[in-house]
Formats: sequence, structure tokens, C-alpha cells
Amino acid sequence: MLRNVFTKWLWDARRSVLVWTLAIVVVGGGYAAFWPTINTPGIQEALESYPQGLREALNYDDLSTASGYLTASVYGLIVALLLVVYAVSAGTRIIAGDEEASTLDLILAHPVSRIQLALQRFASFVLSVVIIVSVFWLGMLALIVPAQLDDISTGQFAAMHVHLVLFTSFFGAVTYATGAATGRKSFAIGIGSGVGVLGYFAQGIIPQLEGLEWVENLSPFHWLIGGDPLRNGLQVGDCLLMLGLVGAVVMWGSWAFSRRDIAV
Amino acid sequence: MSDVAISTEGLVKDYGPTRGLAGLDLEVRTGEVYGFLGPNGAGKTTAIRLLLDLIRPTRGKAVVLGLDPRTDGVVLRRRIGYLPGDFAVDGRQTGAELLTYLGNLRGGVAAARIDELAQRLDLDLGLRIRTLSRGNRQKVGVIQAFMHEPDLLILDEPTSGLDPFLQHEFSDLAHEVSADGRTVFMSSHVMSEVQRTAHRVGMIRDGRLVTVERVEELRERSMRKVEIQFGGPVRAQSFVGLPGVTDLRVNGSVLRCRLDGRADALVKEAARHTVVTLSVEEADLEELFFHYYDQSDEAGGAA
Ligand SMILES: Nc1ncnc2c1ncn2[C@@H]1O[C@H](COP(=O)(O)OP(=O)(O)OP(=O)(O)O)[C@@H](O)[C@H]1O
Ligand SMILES: [Mg+2]
Repeated sequence: MLRNVFTKWLWDARRSVLVWTLAIVVVGGGYAAFWPTINTPGIQEALESYPQGLREALNYDDLSTASGYLTASVYGLIVALLLVVYAVSAGTRIIAGDEEASTLDLILAHPVSRIQLALQRFASFVLSVVIIVSVFWLGMLALIVPAQLDDISTGQFAAMHVHLVLFTSFFGAVTYATGAATGRKSFAIGIGSGVGVLGYFAQGIIPQLEGLEWVENLSPFHWLIGGDPLRNGLQVGDCLLMLGLVGAVVMWGSWAFSRRDIAV
Repeated sequence: MSDVAISTEGLVKDYGPTRGLAGLDLEVRTGEVYGFLGPNGAGKTTAIRLLLDLIRPTRGKAVVLGLDPRTDGVVLRRRIGYLPGDFAVDGRQTGAELLTYLGNLRGGVAAARIDELAQRLDLDLGLRIRTLSRGNRQKVGVIQAFMHEPDLLILDEPTSGLDPFLQHEFSDLAHEVSADGRTVFMSSHVMSEVQRTAHRVGMIRDGRLVTVERVEELRERSMRKVEIQFGGPVRAQSFVGLPGVTDLRVNGSVLRCRLDGRADALVKEAARHTVVTLSVEEADLEELFFHYYDQSDEAGGAA
């Protein structure tokens, strides 16, 4: 695990990856396990009586199916937000955290180019996301029978989780690139979480305003669940968009990183 | 291999409005130990980080081991060992883990070589770095710089935090590197350390190289504070004007003065009286600096 920058970053992140995996499996699985309770006539009636605006804001437009419920509560909300927090904290560590701890100097005095270092670490971060989201996927598959989620197939879950990986990587990329370009943790955290908050509003709240429906197309949360992968499978357009943005943002951040002075 | 390990020409580094380096011309020869001496804020760290391409010059150029740090950084850094002035690493790992990782970034360093250095510096590599004392942490830094036997060592205040015994051990390490035909470039505030370790000293102030001296000559010329206690009162007159003697003060039977250069005349004059005690103290760096700077200012003004 001490072989190169890629494995070292993952090795150093091992505890954090473990904790986040557990948290996401427990919280996501916990919500999913609620489905049989939600899926009872009394609750369904109560939910239908919510005002339309509130239901749209919360993505509660379809709570009568397991996929609608999971999209609204787990994939569009709680797990998505947890993963944004993970992406921002890990994305900050990639360069800015290391630099502010004055530990980046030494590594960059070794025979690795800045771009190599940055890309290897970012790749390592993406792998950590894949690990977290895959374990979570296995957890959801295990819940299919006990939580009565059987109208969703393994493949549909897989599609949803691919979206989740790209969505998390996007926030990691934005945070990483800001940190790499500026060397400042506060900027990285600020921009990363700022994009998260704006993206969240741009998907649930702003589009309800007259004439602003189009805004949701700009939201990473829309790219995550707008095409309803849990029901419709992989949304190739959304995925390619997220992939392209990750690539572009990472390239920009790494380029800016290779040109600037490293702080002591 | 060329006989110049590092050369810089008119290296300028501006940090916004503050000037880190104001036109540095440096030449470090292959196989020598070069001491880079200067007060706080002189620009030592700035120069060193420019050589490693950690920061970029505003103007001027540097050639290190025949390569341009800016364009051949990776190839160049493979042949360099670097100790940062503020050696900071993730403290959760052990010394052995860190050194293995850093060695692997350089294509692998034999564990035996790491152990040998650790033994020599009396360091336990099994401990987590955050539990180490400051000096022991510095030893980890010294080991990582030396372990892969680089052609050029660039060390920013390598002995800060090391006790006198280890400072000597460090000097030995540096001498071995030099005996091997490899080069050491080290910064320091401490004249005595540089005198012990280096062959040549470059003095830097306000971002410029003020003077370069061979250590042997420096040693001969360097100022000393002398205090002689005689058996009875002596007269100041007989000591006035002796070569190298300045700041003469005689107080009853005690004589204090500064001595620059050879001690011969002073000793011979003193020997005419009964000498009870004689102490010679090396002038500290600060005094030495001001002495030299005054001289060089005068020389500059006269030219
Ligand atoms: N990142 C920076 N931003 C602004 N000014 C800086 C920066 N780094 C160094 N300087 C300034 O550049 C000058 C040279 O600093 P440098 O760190 O090179 O000195 P030094 O000789 O290494 O000092 P010391 O002996 O204290 O380590 C100082 O005036 C310092 O304040
Ligand atoms: Mg310094």
C-alpha cells in the first residue's frame, strides 16, 4: 500500500472510507427498511394530503412505489447529501489539506510531477467512492426481500449506483480542483459545499418558480435522479454529462496546480 | 558530470510586494559542501525551493545538475535529496512506513540502507512520527534526504533541533557524501556549524549573495573575543595598535579586546606579563555578519 501515490492515498483514507461506508449503509438501509411501514394505506393517504409544492420540493411526487420512495428519501436526499459531504472532505484533502499541513512540499520534491501526483490522488478518491457505493449497493440488494423492494431489479439498483458514483465524483472534482488551484482548504470547502447547496435548491425549489423550470437542468441532483434510474435504468446522457464535467474540472484544477507556487 | 552542481543567474522572486530574492548569483561546485548562511528572512528557503521547482522565479534562471528545474523537474529530483526547513509529515505513520513510501517514490531504497542510517542516528523507526521528539523527527528528515545516495543534497537548516552529538554525526554524513564526489548544499544560521561542515560559505542578506568565502580562510580571519586576566595591572598603551586587535579595554588586570586574524602579536605582547587565564570566544554570527557587511559596504562605497 506504500507503493505509490495512488495506493498511499487510499491507504491513508482507509479509516475514513470505512466510517463513511458504514454510515451510508446504515442510514440508507435504515430508510429503505422503512418502506413496508410507508407502504400502508394510512400513511399513503397522509402523504397525499401534503401540498403539491412541498411534495415537489422533497421529490415526494411518487411515494406509492418502492422506487419512488427510495429515490425521494435515500438517493435524492439523505445518501446524496452524505456523499456530498464525503466528497467535499476527501476532495479537500487531496491537495489543499496536504498543502496547509505543510506536508506537500516534501512529496513534490520527489520524482513525481505535480499533474501525476494530482491525478493519481484523484483516481484514488474515485476508487474510494466506488468502494463506498458498491458496498452500499450490496447492502440494498440484501434488503430487497426483507424490505419488500422487489419491484426494483438488481440492474436498476446498479444503474442508480453508477449515477451515485458520478455524482459524488463531480463534487469531489469541484472541491479538489478549487483546492488544487488555490491551495486553500477554506476555498475548497466553500466552493464544494456551495455548489452542493445551490445544486440542491436548483433541483427542488427554484424550478417551482414561474419560468425557472429550466434551472433544474443545471443541478447535479437532477443529473442524479431526474431521469429516475431506479425505474428507467442508466441515463446515458446524464452520466456522460457528469463524466465530462468531472474530466474538465479535474483537468482545469490540475493545470492550475502545475503552474502555481506551493505554499510552505 | 560537470563541475558545477548548481548555478543561478540573477534569480529574483517577488511575493507580491515583498521581495524574497533580489538577484541571486550562486555557484556550487560538484563534490563540495556549500554552506548557505544568512539571517532570518534573507531568502535561503526561497532560493532552495526555487531549485526544486516548488516555487517559480519572477526572473532569472537556475541550472541544477545541468538541468532546468522548471522543465526537467522529475528527472532532476530523482537525483536530489531534499530536507525542508520545516520537516512536516503525517504523524500517524511510523518512521519505517514513511521512509518506505518515500523510497518507493524514488524507485525503491534498500531497507538495510534505511536501518543503517537509523542506527547511526540512534532513531527507532517503529514509532509513530507524532510521538517523536522534535529532534528525532528531524532525524527522519535527514534519513529520507540521504538514504537514496543522491548526487545532490539540498538541505534547509538540516541540524535544527539536533543535539551537538548528532550535529557532528550530520557533519560526518555530509563529509562522506562529499568524499564520494557528490554535493551538499545546506542553509544555516549557525556559523560554527557551517565552519565545521562546509568547504565554502555563501553569505546571503536581503535576497542577495554578499560574499563567498572558503571556510579555511574564514576561520583564519574570523573575529574572536579575547579576555586575558593578568597577575597584576597592565597598561593599555602597550597593546594599542597590535595587528588585528580592536575594541581594546583594560580594566586593572583584565584585558578585553577583539581579535581579527592571527593571534601572534597579541600573545607575544601578553607573554611579557604573568597571564592567569586566557579565554578566546568566537564572535557570534550576528557580530560576524555586521563586521563583514560593514566591510563589504565600505568596499562597495569606495569602488
Ligand atoms: N509565501 C510567502 N509570501 C510572502 N512573503 C514570503 C513568502 N515566503 C517568504 N517570504 C518573504 O521572503 C523573504 C525571504 O524569506 P525566506 O523564507 O526565504 O528566508 P530564510 O532565509 O529562509 O529565513 P529563515 O532563516 O527565517 O528561514 C522574507 O522577507 C519573507 O518574509
Ligand atoms: Mg528558511
